[in-house]
Amino acid sequence: MIYDIDLKISYDYDQPANAGRHLLRLKPATLAGEQSVVSMVLNIEPEAEERVDKSDFFGNEAVEIAYRSPHKKIVFDLKCRVDRHAPDRGVIVSPDLPRLGGEVAAINTLAPDSPHHFLGRSPRVRPAPEMDAYTEVVVREGMTAFKLVQALAEALHRDMKFDPKATTVDTSPEEAFAGRHGVCQDFAHIMIACLRGAGVPAGYVSGFLRTIPPKGKQRLSGADAMHAWVRAWCGAEAGWVEYDPTNNLLVADDHIVIARGRDYSDVSPVKGVLRTAGSQVTKQSVDVIPLG
Amino acid sequence: MSPQSKRWGEAGARSLDSYKPLAGVADELVDASGSVRPVWRKFIDHFQRLPADEITLRFARGDQYLRDAGVYFRQYGKAGSAERDWPLSHIPVLIHENEWKQISEGLVQRAELLESVVADLYGPNRLVAEGHLPPSLIGMSKEWLRPLVGVHPRSGHYLSFIAFEIGRGPDGNWWVLGDRTQAPSGAGFALENRIATARVFSEFYPAANVYRLAGFFQTFRDALRGLRGSTEDQVAILTPGLWNDTYFEHAYIARYLGLMLLEGEDLTVEKGRVMVRTVAGLAPVSVLWSRLDASYADPLELDERSRLGTPGIVDAIRRANLTMVNALGSGVLETRALLAFLPRIQALKGEPLKLSNIATWWCGQETEREHVRANIKRMMVGPALSTRPPFEPDGRTVLGGRFEQETLQTVDSYLDTDGAMLVGQEAVTLSTTPAFVNGELVPRPMSIRVFLARTSNGWQVMPGGYARIGRTEDATAIAMQRGGSVADVWVVSDFPVEAVTMLPPDGATYRRSESGVLPSRAADNLYWLGRYVERAEDIMRLLRAYHMRLAETANSNAPLLRLLEDHLQTFDVLDMEECVPESLRATIASAIHSASQVRDRFSIDGWSALNDLAKTARQMVDTARPGDDAARAMSVLLRKITGFSGLVHENMYRSVGWRFLSMGRSLERALTMTSALEKFLDSKAPEGALDLAVEIGDSSMTHRSRYAVASNRKTVIDLLALDAQNPRSVLYHLAELREHAEQLATVLAKHQLSVFSHTVRVAHADLAAGSPETLDSAGLQTLGQSIETLSDVLSSEYLT
Repeated sequence: MIYDIDLKISYDYDQPANAGRHLLRLKPATLAGEQSVVSMVLNIEPEAEERVDKSDFFGNEAVEIAYRSPHKKIVFDLKCRVDRHAPDRGVIVSPDLPRLGGEVAAINTLAPDSPHHFLGRSPRVRPAPEMDAYTEVVVREGMTAFKLVQALAEALHRDMKFDPKATTVDTSPEEAFAGRHGVCQDFAHIMIACLRGAGVPAGYVSGFLRTIPPKGKQRLSGADAMHAWVRAWCGAEAGWVEYDPTNNLLVADDHIVIARGRDYSDVSPVKGVLRTAGSQVTKQSVDVIPLG
Repeated sequence: MSPQSKRWGEAGARSLDSYKPLAGVADELVDASGSVRPVWRKFIDHFQRLPADEITLRFARGDQYLRDAGVYFRQYGKAGSAERDWPLSHIPVLIHENEWKQISEGLVQRAELLESVVADLYGPNRLVAEGHLPPSLIGMSKEWLRPLVGVHPRSGHYLSFIAFEIGRGPDGNWWVLGDRTQAPSGAGFALENRIATARVFSEFYPAANVYRLAGFFQTFRDALRGLRGSTEDQVAILTPGLWNDTYFEHAYIARYLGLMLLEGEDLTVEKGRVMVRTVAGLAPVSVLWSRLDASYADPLELDERSRLGTPGIVDAIRRANLTMVNALGSGVLETRALLAFLPRIQALKGEPLKLSNIATWWCGQETEREHVRANIKRMMVGPALSTRPPFEPDGRTVLGGRFEQETLQTVDSYLDTDGAMLVGQEAVTLSTTPAFVNGELVPRPMSIRVFLARTSNGWQVMPGGYARIGRTEDATAIAMQRGGSVADVWVVSDFPVEAVTMLPPDGATYRRSESGVLPSRAADNLYWLGRYVERAEDIMRLLRAYHMRLAETANSNAPLLRLLEDHLQTFDVLDMEECVPESLRATIASAIHSASQVRDRFSIDGWSALNDLAKTARQMVDTARPGDDAARAMSVLLRKITGFSGLVHENMYRSVGWRFLSMGRSLERALTMTSALEKFLDSKAPEGALDLAVEIGDSSMTHRSRYAVASNRKTVIDLLALDAQNPRSVLYHLAELREHAEQLATVLAKHQLSVFSHTVRVAHADLAAGSPETLDSAGLQTLGQSIETLSDVLSSEYLT
């Protein structure tokens, strides 16, 4: 599937920011055999004094920019065409949990895709007894790693209320879980914590989701959103499998990948400290238009 | 004569009968047969001859030095943090140089080993690939910083300044208890312990053949300078700031080595270069000796919550424009579980460890876990990823098969469920060393932190160290956490040692290279220190004037008193019943706060004077009574605060920093004088207000000698606003400011005209052309505004 994607993020400050340095992870990833970027333009207003393209430890593309002069507003505008062709996973064969542990231990590398990065605590996801208890109810004797991924996504989709007003970008997984509400970021963080607690290496994926309007309705312009889901390592044979707990489905061509990491902090779209006292307002609009 | 006294010494010396080392524990002072070891003999002989009251006196002398130097210990408790007296155990630990040489060789070997391990972990990762290190352990460590993977340090080395915690086991051999590779503290404290201990034993120390510490620091400073990209670049110490428990040490070392002390906010990154904001603009920094936890160094690429770091610093390192000492991420070597693997990794090099580390088993491996289980009685089990030494347990700890804290879980199931997160370590017993407790020497367990610096000639070991002394005789390592004291370590030679100081050989005093390298934040603190001190003095003068008149009239409703009360309100003095008002103490506290952030550029005497002032003011709160008593109290405080000003004026080097301090003082004085004149010279002001203005301006005598007439508005304005010779007048201080501004513009090589310099020249010229007639109420108000403007211009030109 080919998509035209338009993403606009803008920040308005009460007081002009004197300087700022930001790390942006907005560009869709180029992933061999999964996704290719046909064309892409990232326009930034006002123009930054410094702008450098780089890639991070996990192989994500990032743009670092810096301002040295006062500015009251920043707008990031990304326009791109992406060819998404998620491979058909067929039947996913994965070991049961005790065997999965052995398969993880047999991996002798710390390369970016190694499961060893995705088992311990990460900046935003730490061990949580209450989520371990939740997982314990879901897990069945002899369950395979992939079955657990499916079962957890299903359980969370059933038990959690999707509520954009309930949480913010800084809400901890524990808090969102206690309220059983949140957005895709919270769903993903909670599922990651549950999986890691059960010994399944799990990470975070940021991206876009094609939304399909209700029957007979037009697609609303700008109404799409950035999205997040989970990737889990389901053994040496299956490798990484991506799953969307917010929508309870296996990730396929409707999901366009931007970046992959341990949790949100590794992939947050705009990072950066502002030397300003005033409050800031963020606006975001996303259009994901399928071209077929 | 008993055999004991024969052994312990001659007539006049106290016996060591009461010194009884524990069975099964090595002792530093005496050997297994009970004889004093040769290295201690002279010292013990000297000490045991000192009369008891002399010992008390000498110990007090050492403690006094530490207090005067401002060495304290910050303790964090439930009620926040508190400063406590530095817990010096005055008896040093003595080690013979031959033994020290062996220790040093072992530690240098270990330093090389650690360098090769960290280079591999951030480089090719062969140790993991070849099965010598478990990947899960590294993958789970929060000290393994992924953004630094593949980044080769521009100096070629990851480690340049490290420390090892060592202790002596029951068999007499030394053990490494832990590796400190991130930002080891204690070297500065070791220096202070040395100075204090040398004072306690002032006759004995000079001839005791004890290796000096200065050479080590000197060599390391030179090594740091050698790492610069260009000789124009700055070398600085990066500190988390005032609230860090070892901030004193950062400031102390910065002052001692003549390096800048910076915080993250002093720095900015431009095109991959790290720059410090100074009063002369941005200056490049290419070497940072960091005392900050690595993950806080850059909120953009590392811990995003950090407010202590500098965005972009990782990128500067990646572009090989900055050397961090040590390289960011070196802290991963402190991971406790690594101790289980290091001996084997060293053995791969074909040479075993010269100095063993404490036996450690990672419970993430089945064989090792079962070994720990089978030998649980002589094990300490704790978190595998902890980066603290064994005697600083964190998390749940199992000792001798039992949990330290109450828990429902059994040790067996803990090993099963949490194995990968646990290590078992042999519960080591440390050697004991003498401490002076309740009038006698008693054995106390100790461990030593030893410091190593990389220099152009390879690793150098500081000949000495930072010893920790246990509070009780319990010699298990874990007991060290519960309070205790610290001691100096003397490495003793059989022959006289070379005396080294930080002074260069030609005898000229070493001086921080000046001109323009003053960080803006430091300048800001000095400027505000000047302002706060001046403001405090002004409040004191006003209060003294108030209470003197109150004592005369006993009527707080007298017009003049009401006028003073009204004027004091502009300084937030709201309750005249309060003799030492809250706002005065708060102003002094603000001065101290400013001073505490520039401790590295500030004399110890000045610091003591300020703290003494604050203490006296605090004590007076409960005792001072309105009227005569409060007036006298203010006189005492005024003497103390002018004592501080005198110290600054007489003793401080005429540096750029001194100019900012002086400008703060002049600006505040000009401002408060102008506002006092506005108030007291108002046409509606009651009788006596003119004399009051002269008194507050501390110019009563001058007025009498200069003017034959009684005070009138003209004479007062003339003396306090327009007299260029009166150090209390507004014009005098504008002239001072003009002079400072011009000097600054010259020193800082401002080629174009400095805006501040221009503004202050105009303000000065305007006032100099003024007369008592032009300085009416409106004229004074305009003057006050123009002085306020000066402060703003100064701030925007130099301080931000």
